[in-house]
Amino acid sequence: MAASAAAYSTRRSRVQGAGLERALPYLLLAPALLLILAVVVYPLIYGVQQSFLNFRFGHAVGNVGLDNYRQLWSDPAFTQALWVTLKFVTLAVALETIFGLGLALLVASEVPFAKGARLIFIVPMIVTPIVVGIVFRLIYASDVGLLTTLRTDIFGSGQVFILDKGWSAFLGLVALDVWEWTPLMFLILLAGIQSLPVEPFEAARVDGAGSWRVFLDHTLPMLSPILAVAIALRTIDAFTTFDQVFVLTKGGPGTSTQLISIYGYNTAFKFDEFGYGTAMLLTVALMVLAFAAITVRLIRRQATA
Amino acid sequence: MRRWWGTLVLLAVSAIVLVPIAYMVGTSFKSNQEITQDLHLLPHTWTFSNYDGLFKDSYFSQYFRNTFVVCGTSVLISLVFGSLAAYSLARFQLLMGLERKLGFGILTVRILPPVVLVVPLFLVALRLHLLDSWLGLILAYSAFNVSFVVWMMESFFREIPRDLEEASMVDGSSRMTAFRRVTLPLAAPGLVATAIFAVIVTYNEFLVALVLTSSPTSQTVPVGASTLITRIDIDWGAMSAAGTLAILPIVVFALIVQRHLVRGMTLGAIK
Repeated sequence: MAASAAAYSTRRSRVQGAGLERALPYLLLAPALLLILAVVVYPLIYGVQQSFLNFRFGHAVGNVGLDNYRQLWSDPAFTQALWVTLKFVTLAVALETIFGLGLALLVASEVPFAKGARLIFIVPMIVTPIVVGIVFRLIYASDVGLLTTLRTDIFGSGQVFILDKGWSAFLGLVALDVWEWTPLMFLILLAGIQSLPVEPFEAARVDGAGSWRVFLDHTLPMLSPILAVAIALRTIDAFTTFDQVFVLTKGGPGTSTQLISIYGYNTAFKFDEFGYGTAMLLTVALMVLAFAAITVRLIRRQATA
Repeated sequence: MRRWWGTLVLLAVSAIVLVPIAYMVGTSFKSNQEITQDLHLLPHTWTFSNYDGLFKDSYFSQYFRNTFVVCGTSVLISLVFGSLAAYSLARFQLLMGLERKLGFGILTVRILPPVVLVVPLFLVALRLHLLDSWLGLILAYSAFNVSFVVWMMESFFREIPRDLEEASMVDGSSRMTAFRRVTLPLAAPGLVATAIFAVIVTYNEFLVALVLTSSPTSQTVPVGASTLITRIDIDWGAMSAAGTLAILPIVVFALIVQRHLVRGMTLGAIK
């Protein structure tokens, strides 16, 4: 009797053990998934619901269906913000790619000071983005700024105005982004270059190819998958730049630096139009995700080809 | 000759990187009179008055305490939850190929711009009375970080051969013991890189904290610095001191751990 009870209990514990073994993968996943469901997925669904509502003075006053989404395309401030964002992303990412690639090629060829430069180049990515905004306000300030200081030191006098005019404020913002994020391009591309095989380059050198030829025929084609990844990463991030603009210009003067994230934020939190703001930002999210999906597919096709 | 030309370019770019920051740090040690009347990179006479003013008139020490608590707790939570989930995705076959779908879903969360989430997050936190509290921020940051931790750690776990764990299990240890004694130590460099990146991103995060907090009892350093500069507007000395103080801890941290920085900073694009 006792023996069979003992046998029963070991069998039971073995069955339980097997059950636990089978449930283990799901138990391990559960905490992370619950957290993401509660803090990301649930608010997103809630946000979609809110985007169908009309708000007055911060309170929902009625269901307007898809009106908020339709209103977007007849809202000149929205299309203007989208246009500013597209200009900003294209210009900033293009410059970052060119500078990042140039620097990576330079450092990869092991010139003196390469290691030290690599360390210094990491700094802008680590500095808190809103402090990057402060740093650039100090550079651009027409009375006490670094640019005015430099001009005074070199030419004796004269102020430099950057944030007072629309076009120069916009370029000033692009310069900020280039300063902050060229290092990321540089780091990714440097790792890419260093992982390339050596043989094709030696063969090309034996054939007497110039360095520009080698770059076009060998480096660039072999580097293009990682170049695509780097450009995609930066584009996705740049599209929703917020902190630096919030500190530097708040979108002004006028709407010349009003990126889509700033306009969306203002719509929701300054004008308490939570429904319209959510509709706008969800539309932006769809654009970013669609862009990401397309690039991922392109990169995969390229990798398999 | 060409090599020195390259070095020259690197030196020039390093100057472009460092001079703006040096200008802010220099300005923070100048008196207001010197800032407006005497334009130079470094102060003639160094003064701590801007920093004294910051700690006397504003809540900077509270901002720091909030940031350290929120950043530390949320990174810890996300590392534990995220590593467990990543291990599950990397090692097991789940029902209906769930491990692949979840991996993809978590990547989507990673790509989702935070600005999209802040409005709904604010409305939900408002309803649950989680606004202006440590808990609200900790929950938000833990969830954002967890998607990153899963994404990074899954690839690290996949690089570790299964045989090592299985050998340990044949010797009688359970799956979790094998995970703790064999897999985790081998994945430690990856875990360190992931943790470092999570700390930097969380310390620097601004938008979510701006929306979820409203008083010095829970505002973090970036939010505190931004409200300060909106209030003082043209007090350049105080603004520079606030900026310098804000980046001091994170830059020191980054310099200490710089060997492990690169992989995390590039979001696992580089192995």
